[in-house]
Amino acid sequence: MIRGLWDRETVAILFLVALLPLAATWLSHAGWAGAIRLLFFLLVAGIWHLVFMLARAQPPSFAGAITALALAMLVPGDLGVVPTLLGTSFGVVIAELAFGGWGRNVLNPATVTLAFLGFGFPAAPWPDMIVPVGWAAVPVAVIGVFIGILSLRILTGAGLTFGIGMALGLDLADVWTAVAVGLVLLVCDPVASASTQLGRWLNGALFGALVALFVAHWTEAAPVQIVVSAALIASLAAPLLDEAAIALWLARRRRRLG
Amino acid sequence: MAAGGKYWVTLTEPLIRKNPVTLQILGLCSALAVTTAVDTALTMSVSLTVVLVLSAGIVSAIRRMIPDTIRLIVQIMIVASLVIVIDQVLQAYFYDISRRLSVFVSLITTNCLVLGRTESFARNNRPLPSMIDALGNGLGYSLILIVIGAVRELFGTGKLMGAQVLQTVDHGGWFTPFSLMLLAPSAFFLLGGLVWAIRSIRPDQAEAQEFVPPHAEEVRR
Repeated sequence: MIRGLWDRETVAILFLVALLPLAATWLSHAGWAGAIRLLFFLLVAGIWHLVFMLARAQPPSFAGAITALALAMLVPGDLGVVPTLLGTSFGVVIAELAFGGWGRNVLNPATVTLAFLGFGFPAAPWPDMIVPVGWAAVPVAVIGVFIGILSLRILTGAGLTFGIGMALGLDLADVWTAVAVGLVLLVCDPVASASTQLGRWLNGALFGALVALFVAHWTEAAPVQIVVSAALIASLAAPLLDEAAIALWLARRRRRLG
Repeated sequence: MAAGGKYWVTLTEPLIRKNPVTLQILGLCSALAVTTAVDTALTMSVSLTVVLVLSAGIVSAIRRMIPDTIRLIVQIMIVASLVIVIDQVLQAYFYDISRRLSVFVSLITTNCLVLGRTESFARNNRPLPSMIDALGNGLGYSLILIVIGAVRELFGTGKLMGAQVLQTVDHGGWFTPFSLMLLAPSAFFLLGGLVWAIRSIRPDQAEAQEFVPPHAEEVRR
């Protein structure tokens, strides 16, 4: 869809702009090691975008930088170069570029990479999300919602579910930073999340419910692992939720108009 | 010579160009299930090829005597009898592999590949061409199974046919076993990648697009 100023690339660039507070906070705490990691993922994603530009004439996109940022922050640390390279290539190629690039993919490439690495190397330790990085997700959400990139409905849906969970005695103290980062980086991805109004409420609520379920019953899972698994399932369910919302709307219309 | 050339084409066509697994996407259930190691993939390939060739020969030999209305029942009976024989042979001589293959040898009975070849080719051709066609299809299936089995075993455990090829980290080497390769999804990924590669090299295998995306000028309105 191209409407005036808005095309795929505008969305990618504005999403990147909205993510800047998060990137800056994370970089200032991760230091040079973090910068090198980010550069590595930028390079891998960039090379694949270049390959697909030459082979399939798909213009390279800033979406690769978003994927690289998410991976630099969330990929397990001491995994080794070859597995990281393999997982990143898998996510970027199979989840995004093979479908035609940013905007045509079903799942977020970073989510797919993280799930791939999580299943492939279950022993690798997941990174910790420190508290300042968790707080940096708040300005991201505010900017994103203000410029229309992130959906307020998804955020509210997830927030309401967490509220209900906490009222029922769920302890989110250990996971809230990872949840906040995952919510703005992976779940609210404007391409991979639901795109109808009801679908977005359900998308957010489903993510919240899955996180609550994993926190309560999945012992010995790292916070990032919980968030990635919940984000993967929520993204997979997003088209179904959209379909349900559209079916409901059609049924309501038919009842009203005969 | 002309007949020999025709047989050669019948035998080699199903290897890549008309491969039953990657072009017709038949026999996937077993192709995904038994490819965690090369030896199981190899055993499964041999079993399926033997069943396929023999059943094609038998069905072709009695093709004029099978009433059309009950032909599927007759074909399945023939296939099932052969499968039972193979299963017994495996249990007698290769008990360990037979246990690891579990139910999948018996499931050759319902393999679409076997029924597809007997139904579409052996029913209408003389025994010799039928058996050559069956052998070609069996080899095509085996080729895919062994390739996927080798990749999964090599990267999942660092072994090939049970012999250590890549030294794993546990034994002081450098290779980290990639345990996703031993799970079912990796077979889907590998098979999908293989189909993608083959269809990139041979674009005539690619299916027609289901819909044509609108032209950019129309979207802009």
